[in-house]
Amino acid sequence: MKNQALRKILGRLVRAFSVSFWVMFISFTIIRLTPGDPATARLGVEAGKAATDALRKQLKLDVNPIQQFFSYTNGLFHGDLGISLQTGRPVLDIVKSTLPVTLTLILLSTAAAVIISIPIGTYIGWSGKSSSVYAFRTLTSIILATPNFFIAMIGILFFSVRVNWAPVFGYTPQFPGNLKYLWLPVAVNTLIMTAVVSRVLSSSVLETKGEEFVETGIIRGVGRIRFFWFYILKPSLAPTVVLLSYMMGTMLGATVILETIFTLPGIGREMIGAVLTSDYPVVQGILLFFGFITVALSFTGDLIAFWLDRRVKI
Amino acid sequence: MNELTRKQRFKNWLALPGGWGILIGTIMFAAIVIMGIVIPLFGPFKPNAFVGDPSVAPSFKHPFGLDQLGRDVMSRTFASVWIDIGVSFFGVTIPLIIGTIIGILLGVTKIKIIRSVVSSIIDGINAFPLLVVAVAMLAFFGAGLKSVIIILSITNWARYARIARTRAVVVSQQNYIEAARTLGYSKSRIVIKHIAPNVSAESVAYALSDFIIVITVISGLSFLGLAARPPAAEWGSMIADGRAYLANGWWMVIFPGLALCWAAISLSFIVEGMSRRDRGNS
Repeated sequence: MKNQALRKILGRLVRAFSVSFWVMFISFTIIRLTPGDPATARLGVEAGKAATDALRKQLKLDVNPIQQFFSYTNGLFHGDLGISLQTGRPVLDIVKSTLPVTLTLILLSTAAAVIISIPIGTYIGWSGKSSSVYAFRTLTSIILATPNFFIAMIGILFFSVRVNWAPVFGYTPQFPGNLKYLWLPVAVNTLIMTAVVSRVLSSSVLETKGEEFVETGIIRGVGRIRFFWFYILKPSLAPTVVLLSYMMGTMLGATVILETIFTLPGIGREMIGAVLTSDYPVVQGILLFFGFITVALSFTGDLIAFWLDRRVKI
Repeated sequence: MNELTRKQRFKNWLALPGGWGILIGTIMFAAIVIMGIVIPLFGPFKPNAFVGDPSVAPSFKHPFGLDQLGRDVMSRTFASVWIDIGVSFFGVTIPLIIGTIIGILLGVTKIKIIRSVVSSIIDGINAFPLLVVAVAMLAFFGAGLKSVIIILSITNWARYARIARTRAVVVSQQNYIEAARTLGYSKSRIVIKHIAPNVSAESVAYALSDFIIVITVISGLSFLGLAARPPAAEWGSMIADGRAYLANGWWMVIFPGLALCWAAISLSFIVEGMSRRDRGNS
């Protein structure tokens, strides 16, 4: 039994590595999708041959792709992601300085969403009253269909324009001070995440309710808290955790927009800046990080789900 | 068939789970598409014409107000339907077709090496959040709506391929496929006439919810200034334009935003209704 579980986890780890390889491959190849020549695309046709050749050399586009892929991978293992064309800073430094802001944003929203979703989702699922389920599902599908930037705009209209509770510009990295700038974007993310998470949790609680072991628990007269955690919540949480890890990846993508709106110095806004200035190494480096983080998130999510419920397929 | 039974049949259909959701969603979606055709063609103002003073609040003549350049926000909001819903339509159908075909072939192929390599490429593409990979690719393709459609075609197919592959594996083990094989039908005939129709139902169902994602991605990219470019009327870029005037021109942001929500919510009601119908109840 123990062996089997270990083998399952190992298999999942192998899959995470193979996906990581393709993430790396895609981030590497993406520059070659440029119609024509990336160096000319950045500098313009009138730049002259010497300048374009120099840039091509800097981007390592002058050697053959296979050789280049090896040197790229080799660089990665030594923490070398290239150098920004715009500022000359190493890409890894840029990632290191911007990623904490983004992670704070996402972790705060996730924590808030989990805290809010568990009571709502369990209540809706456990009561199972069709009218409240119907109202709940309609409300959540309206929230989910609304794009985050529009929710953010409404938030700004009420909290930054009407009353000055949430400044739209500026940021301080220190802990209590940064909450002033972060709470509104966190609230936007939390709203969306709560809608998804509580929805999935409510339907899996509803499903768990029908299982035989729940009835056994009631008959055996298990204590209230124990019953609630072991018989209802724990088996229902597995699908929610898988979804949560997926949603965190999606939220990571959504920061591209949210950080731009709230001018937060995170990795998403950095990426938009790099896209607008054709700073190819930065775009590639950040894309790679986004991919790695998502792979790590989904691996962790699957692992936790497996721990919660051994019946889960990973 | 006479009028009464048709009415009765419709009533029965409506009484099934999710009937109201599908009906309301369809009416809402049809309404915005019709408005998107009627207002730009027969409305009094052209979407890009300067028809008054800048930043005029909603009035009887201009129900949605005027924007920062004095253009009619109502005309622009409904002129956007062409871009938002039209471009999203291509952004959904092209990946749907490519992905479903690849997924089916992957599900029925016997060559193991192809199956595992293509499957892990699919996982690799799906590892990136769609918006992020779209933004990154725009750096290389150059901003614009045409690039967005190309990018959606080369990335979004992977999601459809994953669904179609899983489904194709299940379908090809069914008894009726076995029966077709026993009858001696050729492999291509079995794939085209028996497997493909059963797989595509699921892909099309996913396409509907993907439509919502794609509308959000396209308007989001336009909001960032990477897809539709000014002066084109598009919900995302209208919201981005109005952002600077939020303090004394809320109508420039709220109306395009509501139209965008209307479109997405109508689709989500349909999706919701259909999945309720699929599950039977609850």
